[in-house]
Amino acid sequence: MKESSDMHVLPSTPVDRLRLYGVFFFFFAGFLYVIGGLVYRQLIQSNDLKEQSDTQSRRVVLRPPARGRIYDRNGFPLVDNRARWSVKADLASLQKEFRAEYLRLLAAEKAREAVSIDREKLMEDARVRVLQGWLNKVWFVIDETNRNTKGRKSVAKLTPVTAPAERQINIDELRKHLRERRALPFTLVNDLAFPGTGQALTADDGTKSVARFIEQFPVEGPIRLDQDNVRTYPYGAMAAHVLGYVKDTDTLPDNVDDISEVRVESMQKLRYTGKTGAAGVELSYNHILSGRSGWELWSKTSSGYNQTRLKYSEPEQGSNVMLSLDYRIQQATESGLAKLKDPQGNLLPAAAVMIDIHTGEILALASQPSFDPNRLADRVSSKYYDEIEKSGGWLNRTTQGLYPPGSTFKVITATAGMRKKVVDWDEILDCGPFFRVGNRDYPEHEPVGYGEVNLDKMLAVSCNVWNYQIGLRTGIEALAAESRRFGLDAPLLQTVSDMETAGQPMTELPYAASRGLVVPDRAYKLRIGAGAWNDGDTANLSIGQGYLLTTPLHMACVAASIARGETRTVPSIIHSKERTGRHVGAEPIGLNADQLDALRGGMLRCVEEGTARVARIPGLPYAGKTGTSEYFKKGEKAHLAWMIGYAPADNPVVAFAVLVEGQTDTNTWGGKTAGPVAKEMLETWWPIAVKANQDENSKAPR
Amino acid sequence: MGWAWLILLLATYPWLLGADLASDTLASSSLVFFISGTCLIAPCRRLKRWQAVLFAACLGFLFEARRPIPDGTLALCLVAIAIFLSSNRPLMRNTPGMLRVAAIVNVGACLIWFVASSYASPAAATDLAWHLSLQLLLAGIVGTIGLLPIALTQNAVMDRLNVPPAPDTP
Amino acid sequence: MDQNRQGARASYVALSVFVALWILAPSAVRRFNREAFVEFQAPALHLLGKSRDLATFWEKKSRSVEEMAAAGRDLARVNAALEIQINKYEDIRRENVRLREITHYNVPAEYMSVVARVATRDSSSWWQRIVIRKGRKDGIRPGAPVVFGNTVVGRVTAVHLTTSEVDLVTSPGFRCTAYLEGDEQNNIVLVNGVASNSLGTAKARVSVIPRDYSLLAGGQPTRVFTTGMGGVFPSRLILGYIDGGTYATQVGNFKESLLVPSRDLYNLQEVSVLVPLHQNPGEALIQGEDFQ
Repeated sequence: MKESSDMHVLPSTPVDRLRLYGVFFFFFAGFLYVIGGLVYRQLIQSNDLKEQSDTQSRRVVLRPPARGRIYDRNGFPLVDNRARWSVKADLASLQKEFRAEYLRLLAAEKAREAVSIDREKLMEDARVRVLQGWLNKVWFVIDETNRNTKGRKSVAKLTPVTAPAERQINIDELRKHLRERRALPFTLVNDLAFPGTGQALTADDGTKSVARFIEQFPVEGPIRLDQDNVRTYPYGAMAAHVLGYVKDTDTLPDNVDDISEVRVESMQKLRYTGKTGAAGVELSYNHILSGRSGWELWSKTSSGYNQTRLKYSEPEQGSNVMLSLDYRIQQATESGLAKLKDPQGNLLPAAAVMIDIHTGEILALASQPSFDPNRLADRVSSKYYDEIEKSGGWLNRTTQGLYPPGSTFKVITATAGMRKKVVDWDEILDCGPFFRVGNRDYPEHEPVGYGEVNLDKMLAVSCNVWNYQIGLRTGIEALAAESRRFGLDAPLLQTVSDMETAGQPMTELPYAASRGLVVPDRAYKLRIGAGAWNDGDTANLSIGQGYLLTTPLHMACVAASIARGETRTVPSIIHSKERTGRHVGAEPIGLNADQLDALRGGMLRCVEEGTARVARIPGLPYAGKTGTSEYFKKGEKAHLAWMIGYAPADNPVVAFAVLVEGQTDTNTWGGKTAGPVAKEMLETWWPIAVKANQDENSKAPR
Repeated sequence: MGWAWLILLLATYPWLLGADLASDTLASSSLVFFISGTCLIAPCRRLKRWQAVLFAACLGFLFEARRPIPDGTLALCLVAIAIFLSSNRPLMRNTPGMLRVAAIVNVGACLIWFVASSYASPAAATDLAWHLSLQLLLAGIVGTIGLLPIALTQNAVMDRLNVPPAPDTP
Repeated sequence: MDQNRQGARASYVALSVFVALWILAPSAVRRFNREAFVEFQAPALHLLGKSRDLATFWEKKSRSVEEMAAAGRDLARVNAALEIQINKYEDIRRENVRLREITHYNVPAEYMSVVARVATRDSSSWWQRIVIRKGRKDGIRPGAPVVFGNTVVGRVTAVHLTTSEVDLVTSPGFRCTAYLEGDEQNNIVLVNGVASNSLGTAKARVSVIPRDYSLLAGGQPTRVFTTGMGGVFPSRLILGYIDGGTYATQVGNFKESLLVPSRDLYNLQEVSVLVPLHQNPGEALIQGEDFQ
């Protein structure tokens, strides 16, 4: 430029103006690009998905919903959800690192002048190395032992001895992930609160581990923090057989009609792993608890990773279920059972149940041995699984266990006899030390016999000979009919749920016994090929032995029915305020007042001074009947201890049944073994009932 | 004078700082006074090209030092603009021309800054169409209004340093 | 003119070469460049802060003697009250130490407190960031929490020789765990800053709130506290308040809400940096130290 350029500049102005417009155009184009891009994304892409729906480049990702809670009858949560924090690696943004590591490995391989280079293998190695590097960093931060790093230098401790598996990338898992769920982030640490299953972390330590990651790990980068829900059972193993547990499932509730505007059927679906009920109420009410899946519509990159989330809907939590259990009684029941041990100190298999006689609602239902559903809620160690298997912990003995009811059956024998008018409440029978049927002596459990026995005394001392006589007088057909009248052959906990099952019959607790129940009669014995029925079989049945098989829950229902003066009680595990107290199939017991009084009086005497007197509760008179039946355990004879009953004796509210499987080396005896459990249940229940009654009364005047 | 660009930079710095301070007070409403583009105009008219380039680069790096954007993006773009302006001085022949160029350059540089920063933190880049347009509008206005005092300061400094006046100053 | 054009072309070529070199250059070069410009500006920022202090000083100086006397009297009263409290706390502290010794409880992370004046804040509210007038030579290290009184301001992200950058609670780079007031089960929730897009005040997000948690009754603001579990922040510092208006948006299987910082972060004059005496693993990661 020269001083006199004024003249020179002017002619060149058109050119310069052009250049100016050029620059102007450049910026304007950039501006348009940015604005246009935003407008495109905000308006067109979100509102007009149908228009450009290219099913090839999209996929639907399903997210599992949180399951509903399970409460006890007073609203205490028995099953809840807790937040689970996991660490995931975003594979799409790790691509560069994978590539760089791969090239490095390739170079090293070439430098070694390897004969053949397996590129697939190298790529996999590269992935594992990169992910392992990140996993090490995560552990470096969450490992508590790094806390007091001396001076300025921190040293990561990988301690491969204590928990090797959790600190290593599982190659098989990575392969499976890349094959099936490439688009989803890869899980590095499944549960930050319990990062290594080998480590026993307290709740506090768990929180620390989560917090350390959140506060110390760099926010930016390919490592993401993810939260979801995991099932938690605040009372541990309590009521595990009722509550059940959950297991992993890849089939999520598939209700994603909301995006019908996009053709979902033709689209690839990816599912996060969800949870489904595997036992107990978790399984039977799975349809109510499980909720609705959330979904996300993603566009994908050519290599199959997710690119942008276009549309989504949040998952919906499942509905809650309120059980009829009272956790206080349940706890007492279980602590009572836990005191039953064999000489080696192992828990005896046992079952106990308490039901409300009016509504049939189950207040407590326990089975021993049990399991901790918390340990099954997430990754299940096969060791724990085997442990439960070996102890027989999976079986719910209260609803699934089939046992001869022993002397507790005598209340039915007596009822059958009186209804057939072969005996009356005040008739006195002579009962020696044994009773001869055919050519065999059927023994009394008291070596000298009981002498003169009426109904009242029979129930108190559990006289066998009385029952042999009355059983034979009544006859097998009437005995079997009476048993059926009390529903011993009918499966329990069957319901046509009013909640969402659309009238489909279902079982409230899965696998509750429905097939194995046996009320024997002539036809039955022929059917199983054991020959013709004889009087000995009748004598056996009259004391609840022989072919008869039933569950503790059935016997609790018998006690409840007698307490109400009816024949049937329909139990339920679900709490409902609308229960009428009418029981399907129930009819009046068919005894006159004197007979019924004698029957109930005998059961009261049984507790006050008879076989169940160890379980007597001062101030709470209640009715009971004990039983000791024989069964074979691994070919050797052992005893089952039974006790059923209802309380209080004069104005019954609850009924119960307790069963203990004695071992060959244990001294198991009806009232002595089962009685204390019943006592503990009732002692816990009584103050609760009294208080509830007071609350009811104090409310009434208002 | 060889060091003219550095002295000019020091003289311009208070303006940059002032713009930052003004932005501080508006921090709660997210509005920013961006003037780096405007500061380029007067030096590009009078300095030698290499000086203008150094001036632009330092200006850009100073700006970047306090904002998380990919290193060098704004600085190198400002350098490109400086090269263009110093070889097309007739564009800034008179005051209207200077104002026009100041507005365009300031808006352009501001746009570059925003794009660069959205690259650095993608989370911030969504849903800001109207914020961005408002910001660019503000950059245009500041570019026009701010040019006069800034250019006056810079010209005064250059006069003192005996930098030859722009050949086509009216 | 022609010559000039040619020169221009050469300049463009040179620029492209330089850009290429710049991209290929190790990041250390770029970091050094950035550092250099930061340090170049540092004196100006210091000067700015100091001049602000000076302005305050003169403003104080212009007050009348009567006013000062009144203020002094008020202060004396406050002092007396505080004195009593200090004595009380001293007793509690001793008791605390004794109990810790009995129960062999781990001593929580110890901090060295560095008081710093705020120099400037980043003029863009995209990154909620302030610059403080203390740096490496004052012992400040990245990752250290920054507080004002019992409220959290943010965390140190970058340290220069005499200045440091602090990410505010409302910055997208900020993440920490918290307890909600009135949550008896002490569920930990996640607090992280969100980029403020609209032209409003920046807020942070509180997420992973249990679905059945409900706000304090009576509409009083629910405080959000630090947990002290993560080894960065001491426990029971206030992060802010739950924004009642936007409470309880369901996100996934949890709820989410916005957090309003408790202090007006735009009017901060002075903050304390709590530099941990021992380096924690997170800090080592930030500095990229090697480990097996």
